[in-house]
Amino acid sequence: MKKILVLALVLVASLSVFAGGSKDSSTADDGTIKIALIIENTIDDKGWCQSMHDGITQAIAAMPDKKIEYSYAEKMLPVDAGSIARQYVAQGYDLIIAHGAQYKNLVLEIAEEYPDVSFAFGTSSEIGPANVFTYMPESEETGFLNGMIAGSITEDNIVGVVGPVDSGDSARYNRGFVLGVQSVNPEAKILVAHSGSFSDYVKAAEVAQSQLASGADVLTGSSQQAIGALRATAESPIAMWLGQDTAQLTTEEGKAKCVAACAYNYAAVVINLVNKIESGVKGGECIPMNFANGGFVFAYNPDLEAEWVTPELKAAVQEAMDSFIADPDGTLADWADVDYSTL
Amino acid sequence: MIDIITNMLSMCIPFSVALLLASTGEMFNQRAGVFNLGCEGVMAMGAFVGMLIPFLAGGGMRVSQWYNVLGFAAAAVLGALFGLFFGVITVTFRAPQGIAGIGLQMFGVGCAGTLFRHFVGGTQSIPGIPDVDIPLLSKIPVIGEIFFSHNAASYLAYIFIPVAWYILFRTPWGLKVRAAGTNPRAADSMGVNVSRTRYESLMVGGALAGLAGAYLSIAQAKMFSDTLISGRGFIAVALVYFGHWNPVKIMGGALLFTFAQTFQTVVQSFGISFPYELAVMLPYVLVIVVLAFTSRNDMSAPTSLGKPFNREIRT
Repeated sequence: MKKILVLALVLVASLSVFAGGSKDSSTADDGTIKIALIIENTIDDKGWCQSMHDGITQAIAAMPDKKIEYSYAEKMLPVDAGSIARQYVAQGYDLIIAHGAQYKNLVLEIAEEYPDVSFAFGTSSEIGPANVFTYMPESEETGFLNGMIAGSITEDNIVGVVGPVDSGDSARYNRGFVLGVQSVNPEAKILVAHSGSFSDYVKAAEVAQSQLASGADVLTGSSQQAIGALRATAESPIAMWLGQDTAQLTTEEGKAKCVAACAYNYAAVVINLVNKIESGVKGGECIPMNFANGGFVFAYNPDLEAEWVTPELKAAVQEAMDSFIADPDGTLADWADVDYSTL
Repeated sequence: MIDIITNMLSMCIPFSVALLLASTGEMFNQRAGVFNLGCEGVMAMGAFVGMLIPFLAGGGMRVSQWYNVLGFAAAAVLGALFGLFFGVITVTFRAPQGIAGIGLQMFGVGCAGTLFRHFVGGTQSIPGIPDVDIPLLSKIPVIGEIFFSHNAASYLAYIFIPVAWYILFRTPWGLKVRAAGTNPRAADSMGVNVSRTRYESLMVGGALAGLAGAYLSIAQAKMFSDTLISGRGFIAVALVYFGHWNPVKIMGGALLFTFAQTFQTVVQSFGISFPYELAVMLPYVLVIVVLAFTSRNDMSAPTSLGKPFNREIRT
């Protein structure tokens, strides 16, 4: 009995040492900043998760004077992510980015447990606790540019939008796209439908096929499910695509069908986060992403640009982008007023 | 308006094939008395292997259609092996079928995702199989677009339904399958090897689930990701109940479900003022409502469904 008691005490003491260690997560003594990324899909999904992973690696490359360590955890459902987040805390990570609004509750709960660690999640425009950053792509800007192109190049005057769910940055992108189409082609019919999922490629393809069958000849889509819609668009001999991620320009379908694409430049966000953490700010801020602060990039498909984008259209797109940079708060302030039922 | 309805109907046939094949396979399982919730996992493995072969042959570029045929064949064989594996667990070891099925589902989905990352990497697409306009028939107004302008795999799947009906209701093997699921004790006393019949049914069901997955990756989405199946395996199980364990009624259920899916996308696309969240739910609600209102007198569920058979124990 005595031996068992001693053994139990040793175990409890050992666990308490680990428990104490898990709270010790300040920046390493040698100045290394440790960043961890938690994502629900993979780092090469050509969409949402890849854009953040690429942003972090680009940010690290852009700050050669800083010692940054980076790890990521893929395929983390919100119910599983708590475990990995706590492991990252135990390993002394300084910044844990849970990339998706679905992680909000988890982040807020863990952030309360570990006030010395910085957390970030998005998309969200909420101002979080003192050790939680949020980030919000104001993607009505990217949607607007793509919409301008779609409205200009459609020959049948019907364009389609394949959304995942009507919330967050997807809702902003889709509504910005509608405004963009209407700005250059008020007569165009805009078909908007949601697959109901961020990752159901088959359903996104079905929505796209439905819109193509209804006469749409230019489509767009947001989140990783959009790859399914792009794949369906590639089957059409006439339809073209506008991407919400420049990674789509590198796919076979994108090379043939994607006239232009925007992307989130998370590198700007990550650099911002690192600088804030170094200066002692651990959270309590929402970092907007827009063209003005370098949060977005925009690119034409070099193989399709000459055929599909006239100099006048290119100039108009550039003018719109310049107006966003000049007045990031005002140009598309009415994006939320777009009502799909009136289209 | 006619155009919209024609478009909706023309999409029903190709979009329903995966559900049709998977639920027909599940029907064979359940007719033999085995409830296989692992359909989703087998579909995922079928989708992965089906896509892998043409992808490895062409690196994502167009390849001979024989590679796609080979992909379908490999998916069927792998699905049959999964069925065999499930048989070992539930028929030989008599493990609880529901739990074993959930295990198979997790194993299949996880395994497919892991192997995909290892052999392929990130999200990749393939050219897949093209649609075929059947000469003359595809030119018939409305009818041609609805029935005769689809990929070859969808025609074969629909041709298989009367074949499945014939096998189940008009052949000695079909009689053995039904006997094994309805009254295995009586079947055993008449010389039917119940365990062997259940194994065979599970292999047939697994092969069809594998083909259903391959259809998604080769003929419909023409790509693979580990979220490709996204619950369709469970819908297939529900459609077996919906269709009263009859291939023809299951076909009707698959078409109705797909029509509801297509209808909701059209409702959304045309800006009809209706919450899209409810529209997305519509097909699933439809299945639940039909199941709830199905008269129990019409149910022809195999009476020994889910019950392990042990010929040494008299009950």
